[in-house]
Amino acid sequence: MQDSNQTLASPSLSPAVFAANGEHHPDAGLNLRPGARGSATSRLDGAVIGATVGTVTVVDPVFSCRDVNVYYGAKHAINGVSLDVGKKQVLAMIGPSGCGKSTFLRCLNRMNDTIAGARVTGQILLDGQDIQDPARDVVQLRARVGMVFQKPNPFPKSIYDNVAFGPRLHGLVRRRADLDELVCTSLQRAGLWNEVKDRLTQSGTGLSGGQQQRLCIARTIAVMPHVILMDEPCSALDPIATARIEDLIDELKESFAIAIVTHSMQQAARVSQRTAYFHMGSLVEVGETDKIFTNPRHRLTEDYITGRFG
Amino acid sequence: MQPRSEGMLEGHISRSFDGELAGLHIRVLEMGGLALDQVRAASRAYADWDVRNAQHVIDREGELLGCGARIYDDQLTLIARRNPVASDLRAIIALAKVGAELDRVGAEARKIARTVLQQSGRPGRGTSSDARHLANLAITLLRLSLEALDRLDTEQADQVIDRDQDLDAEYASGLRRLLTRALENPSQLEVTVEAAFVLKSLERIGDHARNICEQIGGMAAQAVRVARAP
Repeated sequence: MQDSNQTLASPSLSPAVFAANGEHHPDAGLNLRPGARGSATSRLDGAVIGATVGTVTVVDPVFSCRDVNVYYGAKHAINGVSLDVGKKQVLAMIGPSGCGKSTFLRCLNRMNDTIAGARVTGQILLDGQDIQDPARDVVQLRARVGMVFQKPNPFPKSIYDNVAFGPRLHGLVRRRADLDELVCTSLQRAGLWNEVKDRLTQSGTGLSGGQQQRLCIARTIAVMPHVILMDEPCSALDPIATARIEDLIDELKESFAIAIVTHSMQQAARVSQRTAYFHMGSLVEVGETDKIFTNPRHRLTEDYITGRFG
Repeated sequence: MQPRSEGMLEGHISRSFDGELAGLHIRVLEMGGLALDQVRAASRAYADWDVRNAQHVIDREGELLGCGARIYDDQLTLIARRNPVASDLRAIIALAKVGAELDRVGAEARKIARTVLQQSGRPGRGTSSDARHLANLAITLLRLSLEALDRLDTEQADQVIDRDQDLDAEYASGLRRLLTRALENPSQLEVTVEAAFVLKSLERIGDHARNICEQIGGMAAQAVRVARAP
């Protein structure tokens, strides 16, 4: 079966053949019949990661990352990733556990600084300026690059103070009335205002999970960031709350660049305009989400999104 | 051994998904076998002017329609339950399109059988022989297309696409001969018109075989090809 691929007269007709360099998948000729299936992992044998497939750059990027490497001690966690994050669009990063997508996301606001033994090399430009510069104020950076985490983590403070915390810290507003307005608009943009407007003084931790996550988003956008990073923002939420957050992401992308790491491929397909597929620390493929989910170009991307390994 | 493009429908972590996709594939193939039988029986009934066989084709049409409906249901279920993407999604859509093509093949077979049942008049020997010849070509194309679908063999699919031109050419010359005969014998006008429709149906069956092969190409050709950046 495997050898049969070598005999193809017109290799481009076969999905088993890499058109780019004529390499053959040794495992491409699995038998179709039920009962005669290849093991899921065997498809990975000999699959070549190679250089990133697709266009890593965008016109007018917010983030421009080139040849980013991350080491955790001796472990090489991210391997030469180059990727842009575009304005007013959602970039979804997908891949199996441990593929480096979250690690890459955490490079974008220097969250890896907090991990002992972590070392980041390469260039990460935010609006043209290198964020890796040791002289750079990380607090300022994180005001421009907000982050929303997997588990909603509101401060144990009132709903109002949760949102007002950032603007106060960064001195964005001087007068109380301005702060009130900022809290109000942030909660409105996070789609939470109507649910909490009568209980702004109550604790943020008393809200439901979905509400807490929207509160965290309100808190993030209150400091008017350029970019919002989201690390599996819906994995602790029920489907309705998830749909609300996804709807919110869709609205927020009109104002912010958004980079989201998600384990849900369907979520990536629903919310993003670009999708990046990571595998074992490398960026395998990046492209328009429409293309990635209908017609990916790399075998690894195809196998991952169709549920052939993970 | 034939070159093959298999493996497209399987290898999922969820083995039951493999099974469901294979099930859909097999049902489409079964429908193909049925459609092929219908074409064989209908064209033979026309060439031999065999009313009983023609009726048999009509009687069996429900079976074909049932197959098509089942494939449609399977397709909906697979999409709803599995949220297929990429090659899986393309395969499911392509198989459903093949089902639709086979539906139309069945409809052409029915038209041919109806011609016999209407008893408007038996065609002359030359016309019968032309119909038989065209039917052989159409049946061959359909059979090859189903074989290609069975093995997901894009090379064979391409051959069928090429060979459809031969059928088109044979159809054109068959039609010319029919016209000549009609001019020689104007009293047989109705028979001639019916015969022209039968030839057209056979030519259409070739087109459907071709369309099936294009779907096989669509399933396979766009699948993952790139290992390195271009």
